[in-house]
Amino acid sequence: MNEKLKIVFFNMLVILLLFSAVSIQGCSDQSGDNEKTRVGNPGHEEEGHDENGHEEDEVVQLSPDELKEFGIELATAGPGQLKVHVDLTGEIVIDPDRLAHIIPRFPGIVKEVRKKIGDKVKKDEVLAIIESNESLVPYEVKSLADGTVIEMHLSLGEVINDATHAFVVADLSHVWANLNIYQKDLQYIRVGQEAVITAGPEMPRAVGRISYISPVVEEDTRTALARVVISNPDGRWRPGLFVRAEVVKERANVDVLVPKTALETFENQTVVFVQTPEGFRPQPVVIGRRNAEKVEIIAGLRKGQEYVAKGGFTIRSELQKKAFGGGHGH
Amino acid sequence: MQKIIKFVLTNKLLMLVLGLLTLAGGWFSYRQLPIDAFPDVSPSLVQVFTETEGLAPEEIEKYVTFPVEVAMNGLPQLEKIRSISNFGLSVVNIYFEDGTDIYFARQLVNERLQEAREQIPEGFGDPRMGPISTGMGLVLFYYLDDTTGQYSLTELRTIQDWLIKYQLQTVPGVTEVLGIGGWEKQYHVVINPDALLRYNVTINEVIDRIKANNLNVGAQFIEKNSEEFIVRSVGLAKNIEDIESIIIKAEDGIPIFLKELADVKIGGAVRRGVQTRNGIEEVVAGMVIKLYGSNSSTVISSVEKKLDEINKMLPPGIKIVPYYQQKSLVEASVQTVTDALMQGIFLVALILLIFMGSFRPSLVVAISIPFSILFAMIGMRYFGISVNLMSFGGLAIAIGMMVDGTIVMVENVDRLLRKSKPGEPRIHIVARACIEVARPILFAIFIIIVVFLPLFTLQGVEGKTFKPLAFTVSLAMLGSLIFAIFLAPVFADLLMRRPKSKRLKSGNAGNENAESKENIVIRLLQKVYVPVVTFFVKRRYMAVALAVVLILIGALVFPRLGSEFTPTLQEGTIVLRLTMAPSISLNESTRITQIVERRLMKIPEVTGTVTRIGRGEVGAHTDPINSGEMYILLKPREEWRTARTQQDLEKVIRDAVGNIPGVLENFTQPIQMTVDELLEGVRAELAIKLFGDDLDVLKEKADEIVKVINQVPGAADVQADQISGTPQLLIKVDRHAIARYGLNVEDVQHVVRAAIGGETAGQIFEGVRRFDILVRYDPEFRSNIEAVREILVSVPGGIKVPLSQLASIEEVVGPRQITRENSQRFITIQSNVVDRDIGSFVADGQKAIAENVALPPGYLVTWGGQFRLQQEANKRLMVVVPITLLIIFLLLFSSFNSLKNTLLILLNIPLALVGGVVALWISGQNLSVPSSVGFIALFGIALENGMVLVTYLNQLLKDGVPMDETSVKGATLRLRPVLMTALTTALGLIPLLFSTGTGSEVQRPLATVVIGGLVTSTILTLLVIPAIYKWFAIDLRVERRLD
Repeated sequence: MNEKLKIVFFNMLVILLLFSAVSIQGCSDQSGDNEKTRVGNPGHEEEGHDENGHEEDEVVQLSPDELKEFGIELATAGPGQLKVHVDLTGEIVIDPDRLAHIIPRFPGIVKEVRKKIGDKVKKDEVLAIIESNESLVPYEVKSLADGTVIEMHLSLGEVINDATHAFVVADLSHVWANLNIYQKDLQYIRVGQEAVITAGPEMPRAVGRISYISPVVEEDTRTALARVVISNPDGRWRPGLFVRAEVVKERANVDVLVPKTALETFENQTVVFVQTPEGFRPQPVVIGRRNAEKVEIIAGLRKGQEYVAKGGFTIRSELQKKAFGGGHGH
Repeated sequence: MQKIIKFVLTNKLLMLVLGLLTLAGGWFSYRQLPIDAFPDVSPSLVQVFTETEGLAPEEIEKYVTFPVEVAMNGLPQLEKIRSISNFGLSVVNIYFEDGTDIYFARQLVNERLQEAREQIPEGFGDPRMGPISTGMGLVLFYYLDDTTGQYSLTELRTIQDWLIKYQLQTVPGVTEVLGIGGWEKQYHVVINPDALLRYNVTINEVIDRIKANNLNVGAQFIEKNSEEFIVRSVGLAKNIEDIESIIIKAEDGIPIFLKELADVKIGGAVRRGVQTRNGIEEVVAGMVIKLYGSNSSTVISSVEKKLDEINKMLPPGIKIVPYYQQKSLVEASVQTVTDALMQGIFLVALILLIFMGSFRPSLVVAISIPFSILFAMIGMRYFGISVNLMSFGGLAIAIGMMVDGTIVMVENVDRLLRKSKPGEPRIHIVARACIEVARPILFAIFIIIVVFLPLFTLQGVEGKTFKPLAFTVSLAMLGSLIFAIFLAPVFADLLMRRPKSKRLKSGNAGNENAESKENIVIRLLQKVYVPVVTFFVKRRYMAVALAVVLILIGALVFPRLGSEFTPTLQEGTIVLRLTMAPSISLNESTRITQIVERRLMKIPEVTGTVTRIGRGEVGAHTDPINSGEMYILLKPREEWRTARTQQDLEKVIRDAVGNIPGVLENFTQPIQMTVDELLEGVRAELAIKLFGDDLDVLKEKADEIVKVINQVPGAADVQADQISGTPQLLIKVDRHAIARYGLNVEDVQHVVRAAIGGETAGQIFEGVRRFDILVRYDPEFRSNIEAVREILVSVPGGIKVPLSQLASIEEVVGPRQITRENSQRFITIQSNVVDRDIGSFVADGQKAIAENVALPPGYLVTWGGQFRLQQEANKRLMVVVPITLLIIFLLLFSSFNSLKNTLLILLNIPLALVGGVVALWISGQNLSVPSSVGFIALFGIALENGMVLVTYLNQLLKDGVPMDETSVKGATLRLRPVLMTALTTALGLIPLLFSTGTGSEVQRPLATVVIGGLVTSTILTLLVIPAIYKWFAIDLRVERRLD
């Protein structure tokens, strides 16, 4: 900018005094000007470095105080157990093996009802008394199994035929959790895997194992079915409940296990920042299995190495600082 | 001339009345002039903002930016269109040619916006124009201080948005009030996706249900017994309970309410900006934007008054605390120049008294100052120039010069009065004296005005900064010319008297001894001066040698001077700008910012910090969330302990802040920052712009160009823009997968948008305040990639399919922002040039790129940057400067009718230059725009002095005095006016030289140059010109023949 005004009096000089030699020399003396310019304009300094020398530059030094201030946490690389799980949804159903449909032997009129829905009954306990239409003799309707009356389809005086379910008694001490397996998850689910069943924060968790996987995928929902039998001594797992299940597909002991927060992407590589005598250095790593929180490191990080478990972003930003500084101009 | 002077003297009353009218007009104009801190250097710009929630830069560009740009093409007086497509925000800057009326431009843009709106798909945002303001428009920032600590950030923001904002907007001159920080209140319907599954409903059904259960309608009226009853049906949800009880579906008569599926609660809207304070808390803040062209100081004081009123209305415990206001800056900078002006006037008056030795002539000269200034005010009002640092600075500079014309006139009157015969009527003597010098005065002042011509051709920021100065100087000089010609003779006649001694002792007129006895100062000076000038007149070659030595010194010193851009105006408010990694999250940038704030708070001078991160309500800032602007609040300067000046303190702060890992910090100032952003200029000397379509190709080729340019000798600081670096979670719908389920792409995307981003399902009205209802998944089910994979999409027939089965979900790195100029994407590669001239560097660079970088078709490289502007400016000046010189030459020539005389006077210029250069060097300053302005002013003054002397020498020669005697006698007699004009000018500038107030850094180099230059040019005028006059003297024979 000053250039043009410089020209103003240069011209005056040139024209008036033919001081051409001096002025042209002064005019082309760009170097001095530029140096001053850069000094006079803070902010340019930081931008000024070129992109060479990456290798020796890739270290960030931070004092213990700074680590604390910026919330950067260190950890020592070591082994750990990695639980990888698949999340499924499903519902609680009655175990059909523990279900008894009780049908009156003869059609007749209900003379007496002894049990109501929800009543606990023993096997052979009398549920109702019906007078047979044919013999006009009352007979007892007995429970076929231990359990709870969950359905009742008769009331006093009602004429009942021999095809009606008078009672349904279910043994709810064990129920099934039927889980839907989406196509993508089928490959991970095996019989015998442990499943943790939850039904929201109000309910305690139940643990069971997968006892059955349907051999076919249901056509209209495109899901297969996995069954977990869970014990239900206090009747909390009421059939019809909507549940989620966490199925552990793998439980592995790995040599180097780090939290996911330790991973950073730097120059298109996944790295972990490790502490070296010179400072923190990005270390490219190869990742193995992972779950939502933890990651297995197959290569790049040795057991016992001190690494940044949390707050690596700050270190990465420091390394990239030169690059993003210049790009701010819109 | 003669006729004019005679007319003036015969119509004294008329002249006085006209003079008074001018003064009154000037005062009246002054009262009406807008007062600003600095000249507004913002470009003629209309900004169009479009906010589209949640859209990535690519989509913003495609759906929003492009239609707006296309609509704006071909507008009259359009200079260029530049756009930025950011995450969630499109900004299109429409630059008009300098000087375009802003309302005209806005009207044009508004018409075309209608077209653009039609092209932007429904739901992709509504483009609207930014506030009617400029970079100087952010006049006051405040935050809300909750002393009770019991209001939530949401409540405070609601108070800001619905109470304070509307109150402040009623203040005349306020065009917009923008809020930032805290949380904008929303009603959040937080959906539990398991519940959707349980009850077999989709999120879209929920949204539709909410919309369908929240409205009022009108149903005309019914008539009843000759009366009309207006029918209205009300069904608006009013609160959380109302929303919770919206029925989503009913199964066998069992209603399922929204509350079974979702948590309804008050929450905050998605935000792109945060305001923090003192490293301890988040605050809610607001900024007041002044209407274009309104008077900053009036607007600010009425805003302050309004703030007091609002403070009384606010709930107890909440207070509005302004933390930045331009008022102090306006006051400080006006104060700086006003002080300089007053001190200058005082010093000038002092000089007059000393040299004139009597009060009356000094009074005549002194009156010319207010006259010229008030005359300039009339002109300022006419040209629409505000009172600011530069325009008032121009007046301060001109103080010494505006008395010159009158000094010469009055001095001549004074001299002739002394010489006069007692019988001659005073009015005749005055007339004679005035006529004698009127013509040279006219020419001299004209020349001063003419030398400022090149300043009027300055463009861009420099033009806008220095044109007001050129205007006021020229106007004041014009005023002083009018005063000298039309009023000075009148005042001289009314006020000046013959010396008493003369009136008593008759017949002794013309005695030079008597004359010089009058004033002891002059006599002393002459005692020294006469032998010296005689020495040089006798040995002319010594005079030439002196001149040559001086010029050589100048030539030696000149290359040692550094140069810089215009010195930065110190605004008195320090802003620390933080730039963090482009991919940073708002939470992290807030955390880091607060760490920095805490570090700053340890400095004893710092009383507080208020930082804006990202942007608030759209209209003023477009910063991404990785940028923070920290306003550092300081104790009053008297209480500083670790630093004395702002620069010192900046150093202290820099040390205290130290290196912040992952953060770039640099100091800036509020106005500077805003203006820089509007100019969007590239600061480097060279800007290579690569235009093209594909962002990846642009990046790749730009990197190649960086490599190539780095090889060119002289390249420094080569750097390409960072256009990528923002991580994206890219959900690509698999067309085969959705085909199996009979889904549309939209069905999937709709779920993605509503579940992850949230969707507005109407509004809740609280009185006139309205708050959005936002339906969105519970964070647990949407906030990480694993959760996103599991989001269920409903398929016709009641089946639910997880998203990952329908789409690929990957993490990629996307563009940070997309910049476009004139409807094409581009990337900038900046470079400075060291140790060689830019012209040849550009040629080499162009060749290198052509040889080494293969550009695909449709890609184009352009070269620009400061060097382009400089080239253009140089080209213009190449024309303007010779024309200016030609005009000066013609003026001089027509005044003297002698080529030799003209050349002799022009000789003043290089000698004046020497002094200016040396003064800069001694004071350790650089060549800069203001120092160059100083040189320009200097030329005018130097020429004026030369003219005064040469005119008189010619006069003596014509009277038949021999050459050598002419030289000595003429110079001696002219010592007084030459010294007086030089000293008044120099002393008028002294206050600027020593001022440390706001804005003084711009005026100081200017004053340095003029004062230094005056020293050498006065030496020349007084010593060299008389000596070498012989060689340049007029040819008496020619003169006689002409007579």
